[in-house]
Amino acid sequence: MEQPIVQLQQVTKRIGKKTIINNLTLDLPLGEVFGFLGPNGSGKTTTIRMMVGLMAMTSGEIKIGGFSIRSEYQKAIRNVGAIVENPEMYKYLTGYQNLVHFARMIEGVTPERIQEVITLVGLEARIHDKVKTYSLGMRQRLGVAQAILHRPKLLILDEPTNGLDPAGIRELRDYLRQLSKEEGIAVFVSSHLLSEMELMCDRVAIIQNGKLIDVRTINQGGMDVESNVHTLFEVDKPAEAAEVAAELGKAAIREGSSLVIEANREFVADFNARLVASGIKVYGIRVQTKSLEDQFLEVTGGERIV
Amino acid sequence: MFNFFKLVQNENMKIYRRPRTYVMLGLLLALIAAISIIGYFVDQNHTTSAWSMIMTEVMISYMLITVFAIIIASSGVADEFTSGTIKLLLIRPWSRSKVLLSKYIAVLLYALGMVVVMLIFTVIINMIVFGFADETAAEVISPLVSGSIVAYLLKYSLLKYVSLVVTTTLAFMLATVSRSGALAIGLSLFLILGVNSFTVLLASIKYKWADYILFIHLDLTQYLNDTPMRDGMTMGFSVLVLAIYYAVFVALAWYVFKKRDVAA
Repeated sequence: MEQPIVQLQQVTKRIGKKTIINNLTLDLPLGEVFGFLGPNGSGKTTTIRMMVGLMAMTSGEIKIGGFSIRSEYQKAIRNVGAIVENPEMYKYLTGYQNLVHFARMIEGVTPERIQEVITLVGLEARIHDKVKTYSLGMRQRLGVAQAILHRPKLLILDEPTNGLDPAGIRELRDYLRQLSKEEGIAVFVSSHLLSEMELMCDRVAIIQNGKLIDVRTINQGGMDVESNVHTLFEVDKPAEAAEVAAELGKAAIREGSSLVIEANREFVADFNARLVASGIKVYGIRVQTKSLEDQFLEVTGGERIV
Repeated sequence: MFNFFKLVQNENMKIYRRPRTYVMLGLLLALIAAISIIGYFVDQNHTTSAWSMIMTEVMISYMLITVFAIIIASSGVADEFTSGTIKLLLIRPWSRSKVLLSKYIAVLLYALGMVVVMLIFTVIINMIVFGFADETAAEVISPLVSGSIVAYLLKYSLLKYVSLVVTTTLAFMLATVSRSGALAIGLSLFLILGVNSFTVLLASIKYKWADYILFIHLDLTQYLNDTPMRDGMTMGFSVLVLAIYYAVFVALAWYVFKKRDVAA
């Protein structure tokens, strides 16, 4: 693997006696959409603030593109585009003036590039209106626009789907995946919306109480033939079906009028044949994939999300 | 270094793209015009000279400009924090010191611009209303001063601008430290308008430490007519005291702005 674009090394943040972030170590490669998942108050935004230099670390080191955010801030931050929390823009300026404002602060952003970005986020029609007349979704788009103006290698988005309608979310998701795959940039997305992360990210880090609990790769399709998965059978006589399962040497868990067994593909087919042969009606067979939500609840010990 | 001027340009855009900036300017010019016109009709015998009117209006205008500059300076910094835009502003390849400096320069330019517009407008409108006159400073101000009235006006304006800069810097510092526009504006106005009206009282304090109170040095024009507030005070001493206060304000503002975690 090439050098990671972001390296967090034993990052710790203490405010007073309270430890907000505890010894967080994380590497992000280019070309990946990386999710940062955690309940509210787990330290997601604090971590992001430290990554962009808005907050100082108590100890540890963050490097972006190989440059330390502490000692070589300007070189490090040149590679970063970000929205921290809500996309707050200057409300009394137009969308275009806002973009010009941020373009002036970074070398090499041409008026053509500004136009290109406006088209990309689909704000052509309203860009010369004042931002105070924008809906939250439009502000979010403008926020994304200012973040990608200077073609950063790392895009940090804090809760980017907040306030977007389903079409907007889908659009953003597709766009982020395209950015990471085609332009090879790293996208760092924080969220507590699990289903969203599942669709958007390649990998997800789960954080709780300032500690990194787990980093998981998200399977984007692809069936595993051998391993046992939870499979749900919807039948008319679950008690009898359970007996059939027992005959085949499998424990079945009853869930209402359904049975859940842990089995591989071959067994599922065999079991179904036996059920039908025994005169039990099978209305449906479903693979219960463990969703990110289940995994999340599993690793965070069921702490309430949202 | 990539064009620092563009940062100042940004700050200027944020000042001059807001309607309130023009409301303030309009208020100032309307007030000046009103004083001149009312003065003209009240003064039946037409004994008022254009220059004495100009000096009065410049004095009043400076008060108003100070208030406006305090508002612009305070909200320039504090609004970034209250609206949250500070987060987008700081995550650019610029040091925090330079971001703050660009804001500070924009505010001083605003104050300078207001003063220049006010001076030109005041002179022109009074020349129109009261007619052109060539007078000496001795005739208009007091027999103690010499030279032409134009030279006196320029000196007066320059000295007033010094106190305007110190006052604005105080407001700028308060806004940077408190991150609250309302607090910074309120406190600065209280200090400048409230405490300032007790300067004569402050100046009469018999103790030595009263020599170092900011407010008795703020108005340097006291030396123009050679009427210092405290006996034995010299212009040099006042400038020194102001310089020390100024340095403290600047140091405090920059230190806090550089060090503070942005959590807003």
